[in-house]
Amino acid sequence: MSDLDDFKATYFDECSELLNELEEQFAAIEAGERDSDRLNAVFRAIHSIKGGAGAFGFSALVGFAHAYETLLDYVRDGRVELTDDVCALCIRANDIIADHVKAAQSGDVLAADYGMEEKERFDALARGESADDDDETGGEIIEEFDIDFTPVMVNLEAPAEDDAAPAEDAFDTAPLQPESGHWEVIFTPHRALYERANDPLLLFRELAALGQMHTRAVLGEIPPLANFEPFAVYCSWEISIVSPTLTEAAIREVFEFVEGDCDITVTQVGASAAPASAKSAPAAAADAGLDLLALADDEVGVAPAKSAAKSSAKAASAASAQDKFEEAPGLSFSELAETMAPPPKPAAPPRAKPTALAAAAPAADGEEHAGRAVGVQSIRVDLDKVDRVVNMVGELVITQSMLTQQMDETLRARYTELVRGLEVLAQTTRGLQDSVMAIRAQPVKSVFSRMPRLVRELATKTGKKIKLETIGENTEIDKTVIEQLSDPLTHMIRNSADHGIEQPEVRLGRGKSETGTIRLSAEQAGGNILIIVEDDGGGINRERVLQVARDKGVIPPDTNPTDEQIDQLIFAPGFSTAAEVSDLSGRGVGMDVVLSNIKKIGGSVHVRSSTGKGTRMTLRLPLTLAVLDVMLVKVGDSPYVVPLSSIVETIQVSRASFERVPSGGQVLQVRGEYVQVIDLAKRFDMKGQTDPESRFVVLCEAEGSQKVALIVDDIIGQQQVVIKSLEENFERVEGIAGGTILGDGNVALIVDVQGLKTQLIHKNAA
Amino acid sequence: MEALNLRDDSGENSAIAAHNSMQLIAFSIGEQTYGVEITTVREIRAWNGATPLPNTREFVRGVINLRGTIVPIFDLRARFGDGPTSPTKNHVVVVMSVGEKWVGILVDAVSDILTVSREDIHNVPEGNSVDTELLNGIVTHDSRMVGLIDLHAVVSGAKLDG
Repeated sequence: MSDLDDFKATYFDECSELLNELEEQFAAIEAGERDSDRLNAVFRAIHSIKGGAGAFGFSALVGFAHAYETLLDYVRDGRVELTDDVCALCIRANDIIADHVKAAQSGDVLAADYGMEEKERFDALARGESADDDDETGGEIIEEFDIDFTPVMVNLEAPAEDDAAPAEDAFDTAPLQPESGHWEVIFTPHRALYERANDPLLLFRELAALGQMHTRAVLGEIPPLANFEPFAVYCSWEISIVSPTLTEAAIREVFEFVEGDCDITVTQVGASAAPASAKSAPAAAADAGLDLLALADDEVGVAPAKSAAKSSAKAASAASAQDKFEEAPGLSFSELAETMAPPPKPAAPPRAKPTALAAAAPAADGEEHAGRAVGVQSIRVDLDKVDRVVNMVGELVITQSMLTQQMDETLRARYTELVRGLEVLAQTTRGLQDSVMAIRAQPVKSVFSRMPRLVRELATKTGKKIKLETIGENTEIDKTVIEQLSDPLTHMIRNSADHGIEQPEVRLGRGKSETGTIRLSAEQAGGNILIIVEDDGGGINRERVLQVARDKGVIPPDTNPTDEQIDQLIFAPGFSTAAEVSDLSGRGVGMDVVLSNIKKIGGSVHVRSSTGKGTRMTLRLPLTLAVLDVMLVKVGDSPYVVPLSSIVETIQVSRASFERVPSGGQVLQVRGEYVQVIDLAKRFDMKGQTDPESRFVVLCEAEGSQKVALIVDDIIGQQQVVIKSLEENFERVEGIAGGTILGDGNVALIVDVQGLKTQLIHKNAA
Repeated sequence: MEALNLRDDSGENSAIAAHNSMQLIAFSIGEQTYGVEITTVREIRAWNGATPLPNTREFVRGVINLRGTIVPIFDLRARFGDGPTSPTKNHVVVVMSVGEKWVGILVDAVSDILTVSREDIHNVPEGNSVDTELLNGIVTHDSRMVGLIDLHAVVSGAKLDG
């Protein structure tokens, strides 16, 4: 893996965190918490995503994020009001950003016009605001922004101005403009640039590769030697580049990594004065995202430089610069820049204009760093490293219990100090184990935060009105469990939205509120985590479920299951009641995926439904995957463990009632059910016990509620074990799900209940 | 051919051995002496029982706990077709790395560390199929014949088919 790939992976990691944060912030904003902290957090997140995207060249993402950021900037300083519409637009924009990130990650290409509509609305909002802002422009421009109207305005003005035409059919308006010619770059490095070991020469070399370049160092600021401060920066450069295909984006890309540590202005020098002003204004304003705004102003005949300068300057709240520019309304920007350039010092007010432009982004950067410093301090650690620690601690626990077991009464009486030491060791070890497990634990938020988007999409597709409530998203579960949670949860929420919640008119007819509610909650209950998906929809249609189950042969036609059993049928493989296969659910996969995924991580699913009132599905998950609750049994003389989560009950062999079936095999009759029997000693080719008094039947539940009865030679007890892989040094063994190390240091094998059951069916079929 | 392969892949591993010589750990099964290159050996431990693995061939003795990892143990005598070893505390497990994996091999005793010249490694004479399958070559040391174990071959085919 190259360094770049490493960086990319980190970037996408960060993106997913940032996107989660966006969801979170907007959930609060939607709920009415419209304070500036939240907006700043949103702004920072978008800015970070954009920054990284720029570095990796995801131009579609950059373009969209850029327009979004501009809108946010306006919202932040109060020029665009955060109405519900704007809020909804922002939420939609988050989804689009997420899609762009996903596309960038997987290398997919999104449709060229993806997100265009939203982007136009950003621009429209921004432009609408500028009309308000510039009173002198008169009443021609709409007084208040109208998100539906303004895109039309873009279309109207597009043909009028040559340079505007390409601007509106791409995300990256100014950068993608295929403008040719001559560019002027004014580059004023700050001290920080040198402090971060950047060398302007390298930047110039890179620039020189773009076209024919000419540089001029501005040395006028260098003081007499007596006043010379060795670490101060006295030099800036004026660079002109000529290349027919050069774009501003290409030039800015060169300065990408020093952005914030220098002032850069990029202006295009046109052939004649008039087009130059039109072009240079957007070019100059592009960094603050005001290009279209400037064009619009130009179109209605207002001195372009002035308005562009004004809004740009305002974007960075540089009031003094604003005044300066208002005094010079007639000048085009390029002229202006020229007249202002000679007395060139960062402190001088005229230079504040370019400074302001470049400062917009650094300002955000600064906030970002500040935000990180005060936020939760965390480090990013490779999961492998954590796992290694978890394993070592597991060993420590085992060794510790082994030592304790070695202490018999005589030793205890003789070495009291040793005993005390061992007790302390036991305590410390347990504490260490808890702490290590806590490292892997993560709040379920990371999964929950993906759900609001899903619900929004489902609501749109089904035409239903659905509200999602989340409770307890700070509940922590082991990371591996969380990873396995996303799919089942998606299916469950889909199911609730598609089958549970009714259409608005139906709901009204039933005397419910028009908007259905899906409540997603997480809580800890003992050693388990309960994840509950609840809806206030129509509940499970038991008649139909039963009918379908019989039709599809999921259950025998003559059985009469209880209501609860019928509810559980929705998890049966191949079962789906949807009359029509919809895009969302109804393909007969889904709920059985939920069950198998949850089983895989040692959890269980329970559903309860009340007709007309709603459905509640409860996932019961283990706190961690690293530790498994098991029953320790003996097969022959070897120790085996059976996961407790799959055990239904245990019966002494002498008390169980077996029946012979014609094939010669045995079945167990338990409460009217006939269950396949597997004698583990026989299956594993070991010498088992013959005394039925000491043998036990362990009744287990495999996938899809199918039961299987295992006969073992002894039951030793219950305990928690750390799962070890057999495949790591060997290979997969049939009927064995893995191994674990017992307190005495010996290896016990984990019985693969599902595997044995499948094997059985396979053998019977053959 | 076999010997040539061995020479190739061991050249960069053995830092201790001189350019054209290699060091072997020699161990015995009954009267016979076998050897593996010293760089593949991770540790040598006394036999302390193993948990039998079902559905595997008889030469898989089971698995042991090696500081928290589960390592399979192969009975070399049984692998050569001489029936299972009846191990005592005096028997020895040689833990080796085969590719990414660690495996243990149950032998009667570890006898020596030998330095042999690569030129002295001979091809296994055709004839006994088990020998040609499991040995990389044969080397003579102090007029004893030492079979060079092909670890990849020893650990393959461990699962019971059907």
